[in-house]
Amino acid sequence: MTTISEIRPDTSDARDIAVTIVDTDVHPLPVSSSVLKSYAPAPWRDRLWPTGNAVTPVPYFYDTPDSYKTNSLRVDAKPPRGGAPGSDPEFAAQQLLVEAGVSIAMLEPMCDAQLPDAEHVLKATYNDWLADVWLAAANWHGRWRGAISITAQDPHAAAREIERWAGHPYMAEVLMTPQTRGIPFGSPHFDPIYAAASRHGLPVATHLMGQTPYELIPIYPVGNPAHWHDFFASWPLLYVSHLMSLVFDGAFDRHPDLRIVFVEGGFTWALPMMWRMDRIWEQRRGDLPLVRRRPSDYVREHVRFTTQPLEEVDVVVYREYIEMMGLGDNIMFSTDYPHWSYDAPQWAIRRFPAEQRERIMRGNAMELYRLPDTVKALPGE
Amino acid sequence: MQRRAVCPIEDLPPGSMKLVDAGKFGVGVYNIDGELYAIANYCSHEGAPLCLGYVGGTTEYDPDSLDRIRRVREGRIARCPWHNWEFDITTGENLADPKKRVRTYRVDVVDGQVYLTA
Amino acid sequence: MSVVIDSNVQPHFRYNAEIRRYLPAPHKLRAIPDVEQQWYQAPGGDYRADLYGDGYPGSDPETVAHHLFEQGGADYAVLNPLTRGNIADYLLNSRICAAVNDWLLDRWLEPDATGRFLGTIRVNPEDVRGAVAEIERLADHPKMVQIGIPMQSREPYGKPMFEPIWEAAAAHGLPVAVHINGGNGVDYPPTFAGHAYTYPGYAAFMPLNSFVHLATLIIEGVFGRLPDLRFVFSDGGYDILTPLMWRLDTFWMSMRDQTPWVDRFPSQYLTDHVRYCTSALDGPTDAGLTERWFEFTDKSDLVMYGSNYPHWSTTAPADATAGLNDEQRAKVLWRNASELYGIGTRAQGSPT
Repeated sequence: MTTISEIRPDTSDARDIAVTIVDTDVHPLPVSSSVLKSYAPAPWRDRLWPTGNAVTPVPYFYDTPDSYKTNSLRVDAKPPRGGAPGSDPEFAAQQLLVEAGVSIAMLEPMCDAQLPDAEHVLKATYNDWLADVWLAAANWHGRWRGAISITAQDPHAAAREIERWAGHPYMAEVLMTPQTRGIPFGSPHFDPIYAAASRHGLPVATHLMGQTPYELIPIYPVGNPAHWHDFFASWPLLYVSHLMSLVFDGAFDRHPDLRIVFVEGGFTWALPMMWRMDRIWEQRRGDLPLVRRRPSDYVREHVRFTTQPLEEVDVVVYREYIEMMGLGDNIMFSTDYPHWSYDAPQWAIRRFPAEQRERIMRGNAMELYRLPDTVKALPGE
Repeated sequence: MQRRAVCPIEDLPPGSMKLVDAGKFGVGVYNIDGELYAIANYCSHEGAPLCLGYVGGTTEYDPDSLDRIRRVREGRIARCPWHNWEFDITTGENLADPKKRVRTYRVDVVDGQVYLTA
Repeated sequence: MSVVIDSNVQPHFRYNAEIRRYLPAPHKLRAIPDVEQQWYQAPGGDYRADLYGDGYPGSDPETVAHHLFEQGGADYAVLNPLTRGNIADYLLNSRICAAVNDWLLDRWLEPDATGRFLGTIRVNPEDVRGAVAEIERLADHPKMVQIGIPMQSREPYGKPMFEPIWEAAAAHGLPVAVHINGGNGVDYPPTFAGHAYTYPGYAAFMPLNSFVHLATLIIEGVFGRLPDLRFVFSDGGYDILTPLMWRLDTFWMSMRDQTPWVDRFPSQYLTDHVRYCTSALDGPTDAGLTERWFEFTDKSDLVMYGSNYPHWSTTAPADATAGLNDEQRAKVLWRNASELYGIGTRAQGSPT
């Protein structure tokens, strides 16, 4: 197991700077499938990354603007040394940490596979790759944090994977897809995951994974839109579905230390949905034997939301709405670097009511992930 | 604002762009079919470097075609490298919401030299 | 004294098999689901406890009129009956819709000399030709004020196959009301994460699916092509409108070139094309926020009072408008519905 002294080379001449901005959603990418493959057990390499006549295809169909050219990534984020945006830790540090001013960033890889055993191996492979390429020598400055990727399909294997990484100094959360093939988050199916994560004080974050077909999309209850803009405008309803299940199916009482982070699903829907849950609980309490407290209380205590993508709304109206929400303790800033829908920190901060800014840009994430107050400065800071 | 020389016109052929260190974020000078235009290298959304994005055309509603769409204004539209907002380089206007303009500047050619006033 | 229009009432057959009286001969012996949903009925019954006993809740016009008009204070009620689900045989389903429509006329609308009951033409979106024919059959009836379709669908209503139905509705000036249907059929699970394990998990979520129908009607250009088309989402769910329309506006700015027929912000289609009925599950739990909340996304212009009688969540006008200011209350209790259904106009030239 890696220890901090093994990771950090002698950087006694690097200054300590205060943590001002925590970015709770960044996407690292292996620079090539060969590199990623090298972390997988040999018998799995051909199965997970077929070559020859059955090469792994580009599957996605809900595309983003000009995606054949942009690949859903920022056009200005290509590393000079080559590779796709997000594949070079040093260039990412330059663009995100130095230029954009982010102090600490959560790294959340995206991947999935059809079958449980394959998905478990794939996630473990990503964890080994992340720990080696991003969290070891490249993290001498201590500013990257990693997510322990796990499969939602096999919670016992996932729990073992959580145990494997729980002591790592830079793995700060567990990451699971919300595209759970018809099993909502409050189901006891996920209990081994929640138990392991809670035991180690690791929040369970969820973020969309593959643009995969079949029920994984997921198939929306009244069918799926034809275009990405209305598909993704509706996406928060997946998180709403999971949140209602977490509350109504008693997950937070089974796991009092569980924290859930809904990533890249917006947050402005949180207050009206808290009202909605409170209203039905007030009117149908007998139908909710597993709910021991007011639903909105569970949300305030157990749930966090990341901010990106921030909506393009008149800023005065927006700030008034956020102030009315009173969820300043539950919202955490994110950029989604290096994706095309990136939110710049210096722009984002002005969108929030002044008295919530410190908590949103750093304070809530500091507390949730138990982050240090200072990190090492990079050249140019 | 100052008028400054950018380059000889031969160095800015049709379909090309020169990024000039002017203003706070830079200015992109574009040659579109022989006409010259300049826009700020600063997207009116979140401040992305607009001139680092792709230049291309856009689409228009075509009720007579089967897929109801046709491609127009080739080479005249700058797409922000981040959120892909479309800006007409020739007017600075955002195509979705004309009120979200990007700043434009005057470009002229004198004695084969391109000048930008920014 | 101001008028109150109740835009959402579900009348019921006295008993499930009564529908067979209105079915044509080839279908009288077919299997037809009961109106109750399997898996998602409310424990203890879907309807107000005090309405069980003498016939099915909401099945006696005199009782219903007494509850809505004398006790409830409404002046008009828009009756929107349930049908029996998205059954596989789409032609039979259209006959079921027609049977419900004939029963509504026979039992509720024709006998009502006061003109306070108004009706809905139920159609089956999976049978486009049949739906258009049913609209043509009944659209001119002076008491039919809207078309009715189920919330449950395997495709969102902005998709192209449905458009002839919306064209017919718009041509007759009839709004299309989307309401969570009864019965059972070929449907997807009701939430984005699969089935709900509790009744509240279902009931709280289900109306929110209206947003997907709405978003596709905008983005696929249906509202753009049919300026007179109006949709009503009768189960509420409008509290999700502000957050998700903000998202839709934002993403549209990046994706405009994929759908260039959308020539304005998506949210700019709402006032001309969309209405909601009030529900017991929408609205701030902090009454002090209600007035301000109702102005986000111009909700005070979009929402119409609907009791949802005889459902267990039946709401009186005062409760549905608690916390609103006088102008908002007037819009919700009668003005928005009066404008949508032309009810004020009708009262002046009433055929009764």
